[in-house]
Amino acid sequence: MPVTGTRPAGDTPVREARRGVLLQLVRPVARTVPWWAVAAGGGLGLLAAAVPRLSGGEATPWAGVNALRAAALCFALGAAFLLDDPARQTTAAVPVRRALRHALRCALVLPLAAAWWTAAVLLVPQEARPPAGDVTLEAATALALALAGAAFAVRRRGADRPGQAVSASLLVAAVLAPLLSPSDWALFTEPDDPHWAGAHGRWTLLLCGALLAVAVSCVEPVRRFQPVRRSRTRPARAGKGVWGAAPGTGREDAAGAETPRP
Amino acid sequence: MSPTVSASGLSLHYGATRALDEVSLRLSPGVTGLLGPNGAGKTTLLRVLATAVPADRGTFTVLGHDPSTARGRQEVRRRLGYLPQTPGFHPDFTAFEFVDYVAILKELTDRGARHREARRVLDEVGLGEVRGKRIRKLSGGMRQRVALAAALVGDPAFLVLDEPTVGLDPEQRMRFRELIATAGEGRTVLLSTHQTEDVAMLCHRVVVLAGGAVRFDGTPAELTARASGRVWSSEGRDPGALAGWRTGLGTFRNVGDPPPGADLLEPTLEDGYLLTLDGAAAEVTA
Repeated sequence: MPVTGTRPAGDTPVREARRGVLLQLVRPVARTVPWWAVAAGGGLGLLAAAVPRLSGGEATPWAGVNALRAAALCFALGAAFLLDDPARQTTAAVPVRRALRHALRCALVLPLAAAWWTAAVLLVPQEARPPAGDVTLEAATALALALAGAAFAVRRRGADRPGQAVSASLLVAAVLAPLLSPSDWALFTEPDDPHWAGAHGRWTLLLCGALLAVAVSCVEPVRRFQPVRRSRTRPARAGKGVWGAAPGTGREDAAGAETPRP
Repeated sequence: MSPTVSASGLSLHYGATRALDEVSLRLSPGVTGLLGPNGAGKTTLLRVLATAVPADRGTFTVLGHDPSTARGRQEVRRRLGYLPQTPGFHPDFTAFEFVDYVAILKELTDRGARHREARRVLDEVGLGEVRGKRIRKLSGGMRQRVALAAALVGDPAFLVLDEPTVGLDPEQRMRFRELIATAGEGRTVLLSTHQTEDVAMLCHRVVVLAGGAVRFDGTPAELTARASGRVWSSEGRDPGALAGWRTGLGTFRNVGDPPPGADLLEPTLEDGYLLTLDGAAAEVTA
């Protein structure tokens, strides 16, 4: 009997390691997913994808690919909130691994994301539609980067709600990347650009890197690998002692009052 | 009796700041109080012992399981209940749904048994009547009890409680003390607190942490005895005292090294604690 507490062993629920945990978790975890953020990102994304169709004039491939990129970015910004969990501290020391819980959240959203992306691609007029596989690769990379950022924030800082910061960082990166990326590492090319294929080779690399980062960040570390630098011990009220100031001892507080009972 | 928890040389740094400094502990069944000022490393120590964060150096075991491996950590977590300093919740869950969710995370997969367990712990913390109420509608004290119920799910052998009485009114604090005393019957409870009254009333043992290091480890009576002969009353402020304050009777209560012939008073646990911390501060300053 694995449970060892105050009650007799026979009175304690039996744990079935892993088996059944996943199935039982689906419903409560689905309730903890911040659907509002996913829905907001998806809604905005669909609006962005619909721009070439709604603009009236003849849609160009340039407009099509950029509409889909904007749509993918909107969805990724919403997906950055996917790992937000206000109960993270309360559930910090449970045997079901964090990686499983993260994977379940992602698995719940991925089918919807696929359906949503199909709709977004179909919203772009056929004559302006870029190669679906390539632009899907870009969208998947944006999503993976958002998840990697959120998972890293959870692992590194134990953040309960990393979504806002990750979302803002992703938006800044999306604005700066086309401006700052070197010309031989261009990512945001046009479908008729001769560098389109090369750019998507780089997108593939980026996706692999992001997925690797997600996988690594989801695992809870059992050891910390941190170089021990010059240490500074936290003082226990050093200088004033634990009392604050004591009268007549040269340690009075600013008001000169006697030390209140701590 | 073999200890439930045995820790040796636990150290942890945040950047250049040493949060834990070679902490060694052995915890046995009963309630052990962990006292210390803000920034002493109490929460860090509790997070390490709860396996929420790994230490840089040192080892510890819980019921013989070593959490420095993934398998060992999982075994430890199966025997552990953890109430963090600022417990968070999914506010749309009811108290029952939240405890049930935590029970699944603790691998209680038999639905019927799990529901019975959730009801049991909610009854134990006195929330049986409001278990169907959404957490967002519960008071702060009730939420704290929901978190305690979540920690108690699965009947853990080792319970880690990080300042559970912070922010509670006196009545709720008294209620919480009863709960912790009950929880401590037959299991090992490590209770971090700023309240020396909590320790005096609940704990069979007390550990004082300051500057990330253990400054005292013994019984509450031993900690109180540290102030024996070092607390006195006087009509006016005594300049030789480390600290002194006017009491409700109009006399001053002084702590430190008394002058000859001083009117000595019976020390309290708090006096012993403060003298221990003052010694620790002097040590760090030196």
